[in-house]
Amino acid sequence: MTTLSNMEEQVTKPKKMESNFISLTKRLLKNKLAVIGLLIIIVQILMAIFAPMVTWHDPIKQNLAQSELPIFSEGHWLGTDNYGRDVWSRIVYGVRISLLVAISSVSLGLVGGLILGLLAGYYKKLDGFLMRIVDLLFAFPGTLLAMLIIAMLGASLVTVTIAISVWSIPACARIVRGSALSIKEKEYIMAMRSLGASDFRIIFKHILPNSFAPIIVFATMRMATAILSTASLSYLGLGAQPPSPEWGAMIAQGQAFMWTSPHLTIVPGIAIMLTVFAFNVVGDGLRDALDPNMDIH
Amino acid sequence: MISLIARRIVELLLLLVGISFLVFSSMYIAPGDPSTMIGGPTATESDLENIRDNLGLNDPFLVQYGRYVKNAVQGDFGYSYQTKQSVSEAIAVRFPNTLKLAIASMIVAIIIGIVTGLISALRHNTWLDATSTTFALAGISIPNFWLGALLILVFAVNLQWLPVGGMDQPLYTWEGIKQLILPAITLGTGSAAMIARMTRSSILEVAKADYIRTARAKGLKEGKVIWIHTLKNAMIPVITVIGLNFGLLLGGTIITEKVFAINGVGRLMIDAIAMRDFPLVQGSVLLVATLFVVVNLVVDIVYTFIDPRINYD
Amino acid sequence: MKQNLVFLLLLLMSIILAACGKSSSAPSGGANADGSIDKFVYASTADVAGLSPILTNDSISANVQEHVYETLFNRNSETGEITPKLAESYENTDENTWMIKLRKDVKFHDGTPFNAEAVKYTFDKLRDPATAAPRASLLEPVDEINVINEYEIKIKTKYPYGPFLASLAHTNAAIVSPTADKKQDLMKEPVGTGPFKFVSYTPGDEVVLEANDEYRDGTPAIQQLVFKVVPEVSTAISMLQTGEVDFIDNLPSEQISRIDSLKNIDVTKKNGSSIYYLTVNHSIKENQDPELRKAIAAAIDRDAFVSKLNGLGVRSDSVLGPEIFGYEKDKDSAGQAYDPELAKSLVDKNGYSNRPIKLLTANRANFILMAEIVQAQLTEAGFKVQIETMEWAAFLDTARAGEYDITFLSWANLTQDGSEMLYPNLHSDNIKESNRTKYSNKKFDELVDASRETIDQDKRLEYLNQANGLLLEDNAVVVMYHGVVTAAMNNKYEGLILEPNGKWLLKDVKRK
Repeated sequence: MTTLSNMEEQVTKPKKMESNFISLTKRLLKNKLAVIGLLIIIVQILMAIFAPMVTWHDPIKQNLAQSELPIFSEGHWLGTDNYGRDVWSRIVYGVRISLLVAISSVSLGLVGGLILGLLAGYYKKLDGFLMRIVDLLFAFPGTLLAMLIIAMLGASLVTVTIAISVWSIPACARIVRGSALSIKEKEYIMAMRSLGASDFRIIFKHILPNSFAPIIVFATMRMATAILSTASLSYLGLGAQPPSPEWGAMIAQGQAFMWTSPHLTIVPGIAIMLTVFAFNVVGDGLRDALDPNMDIH
Repeated sequence: MISLIARRIVELLLLLVGISFLVFSSMYIAPGDPSTMIGGPTATESDLENIRDNLGLNDPFLVQYGRYVKNAVQGDFGYSYQTKQSVSEAIAVRFPNTLKLAIASMIVAIIIGIVTGLISALRHNTWLDATSTTFALAGISIPNFWLGALLILVFAVNLQWLPVGGMDQPLYTWEGIKQLILPAITLGTGSAAMIARMTRSSILEVAKADYIRTARAKGLKEGKVIWIHTLKNAMIPVITVIGLNFGLLLGGTIITEKVFAINGVGRLMIDAIAMRDFPLVQGSVLLVATLFVVVNLVVDIVYTFIDPRINYD
Repeated sequence: MKQNLVFLLLLLMSIILAACGKSSSAPSGGANADGSIDKFVYASTADVAGLSPILTNDSISANVQEHVYETLFNRNSETGEITPKLAESYENTDENTWMIKLRKDVKFHDGTPFNAEAVKYTFDKLRDPATAAPRASLLEPVDEINVINEYEIKIKTKYPYGPFLASLAHTNAAIVSPTADKKQDLMKEPVGTGPFKFVSYTPGDEVVLEANDEYRDGTPAIQQLVFKVVPEVSTAISMLQTGEVDFIDNLPSEQISRIDSLKNIDVTKKNGSSIYYLTVNHSIKENQDPELRKAIAAAIDRDAFVSKLNGLGVRSDSVLGPEIFGYEKDKDSAGQAYDPELAKSLVDKNGYSNRPIKLLTANRANFILMAEIVQAQLTEAGFKVQIETMEWAAFLDTARAGEYDITFLSWANLTQDGSEMLYPNLHSDNIKESNRTKYSNKKFDELVDASRETIDQDKRLEYLNQANGLLLEDNAVVVMYHGVVTAAMNNKYEGLILEPNGKWLLKDVKRK
């Protein structure tokens, strides 16, 4: 056993986590686009946390007498919607929804994808079967999969979260399986196995940490997709329930007023675009910083 | 090669069984009975019972599914609950539109994507590169329902250059092509952006590779080096992305078809789900899934021609 | 980097500017010098379910069927009176017997004559359980149909049935060609006696009709009539603006100002027969508390709500609206008035704020509008209300199963008869079926029964008015608004017939 721990130390210790992190951050910060993206994300997180402090109106409080006010109206710098609700407040509280749904659906999808991917990559016997399930999920058009799940469970943000996480599973599983396969064949893992290390230990101490880089990139990019998908589903009326200020739902509602009050469509559209853009560029930057040769698609 | 195709076909069949089971069971569990949609709000319980009996909806789940599979194997995909039209016919009418839309979007995506990617790569690290990279990333980030609405507003309603929607004119006429432009841009933008990024990074990577350096050392002219060697090798990952995107496009026409009033398979699917028209949902999902797999198979085969190093046995 | 941002901003600005810019309309052809119109396009939000009046029951299919088929009777769109159409006259020899004389100059599009046999064939098929016709209930009271001679028919009912003529005026009671029905599928190839003949049907895309040049009132000016599917209303309006479409109906209230501003479009509005109302689920014990219903009614500011409809809703407390047989003016304000203070005090007094209430709603634009505003107003009064939206299919089933606390229901009331509203929606006979309110009130039931089982129209009016009053006293439902039917047509044309139940006819449309 001593030999085993020694070996483990040898393969893990030289790469010090902290120094890794610092150099990663340095490399990431060289990428101007990624820095912009990071800033956008930070601002959004702050907005989500301090929402009540940066807004002056209740996002769901109606005022029918003051509806459809244009941009830069007094007291409502982004105007109001057709119920007289403050658009700025709705955008800010909408950040909470977008981030919450995206984070939870991506985490759920990761858990599912990790389990499937690790099992398939590590146990050859399971590989064929599990990968067929993954193929099945892959061949299923994403929007449609979500629509079926929503038809079964009813429209709500929770259902949307489930739908989007199911939708993230196959891609994640493939990435994890890929890296599990390549690491499994490394000599030190073979050696450890011959020394009697348990599968559990190998999977969690070695294979998992080594899949970390592609997974973190995947997760960041997936945040972007999740935000976009939440908006699309809400746009189709399958997600957020009124009066919640979800951005896609805001566009769907605003579209009817596009000719009289275009800001009701344009403002939430820009909000979605900026957020998705931010996660995409940060994901991109992370990939370049972690390993320029990494191929996650 | 033949064994590859044979294996893929067997896999495809298994996949279709799996998908049809998933769809069938989810529609079975979903609340909302087809008879309610046929009977309308005034139907009495006995009206509904009659309709359900007529459609065989009172049978146990597995009996219903078994019957479906048995008929499907014989090429009979059933009849729409709503219109009583055969599913194959309903899909056959709409599929050409979806295919037109998907191909047009793909053409838009490939042209814009590869040109932008090439410019970025050739003018690597210049403002041109930065601009096109930014645009590529913005392209991936645009919600396509939003883009579609804005395009209609600007080009169809305000400028009146292009029609607002529809896809009913023949493709060989100018009108037919005009109808395709806005939907193709709406649907193709995301893919264009992905292709652009892949082209850029792939060319940069190949350019660094040893054999290009060798070619250069052999005295080949710069232009030739880039065009022949780099492009050919750089295209492999680009083709994967194209293939993957084509599959995604086929599944992703739903929103575009809705916004532009295109009578396609995507819209058929949403309407069928909303109306609980089970046979139509099944039929259209199976079609889209089959296409997705077939496109991926074609991509794999194309590989072996571009890159003889790849061997699938 | 700066440059890119500037570029992005410029792009956005140009989009916004273009969006706000002035728009103009393009000319479109289609009209001939003699007033006839080569091609006239109507944009429909959904595809037809089918083209046989016997096998369908939806307004989209009815739009096409109205032009291909005809009914025995018709409700006059101006006076509301029921007048013969394919019939010539009728007579009640006793209160269960209807002797109907038919027109003699009518032919089906396939050349076969319209006669008593055709009527008997159609009605027998409609009420035959084997047909499983969705609207078989129209002829539910019918006992027997006999052909007296070529142009006269006798219909016996099981009990005296007041709204019978209204039923016969319903689109789904239109007469089909028996020869054609035996030979082909009318769902795909309809054959009737109407002003237009069927040409082609492309599922999901369009139905094409052509003028029937043997029509007894003269050939319609429209040579080719196209019903085109355009699912997004915004898209349809844009197509109307650019001239790709000539006519749309059911204008959404939130876009009415946009449509009004289009220079090439004439908008027609008319009070309609449809009703939109809020109901509590009467099968739930807590909802049987009259003070709760009073508090809900008092909390909802219906005037403010109707003002959001931009003129596309009629404000009245009456459950039977102004265009419905059974309406009396005094019921307009007979319901609980808006009184937020009263609502608050009732909520406080009875502790209603402790109970979470599920507000179920269909995810259609006008339902969501009601839900959002009512939710905010009920919250204001102290209720705890959560909205749950559903697709139409799931919504109908869920409401039917009574799985909600409060919801919004609507009724098109195509026959415009009060019994046809009160019986299916609120009578305890239908509590497991179309009575989604689950309302059950003996006295009310008796009044509705009486209104159905007499053919004396004055008495019927009285019974219906009383039943209506009872509902309002009880705060059984809260009427949000009565519909306004709307249509928008290219102003090159005139002659549209628009009926209060939302049906329209294009047979008289011609070039100005």
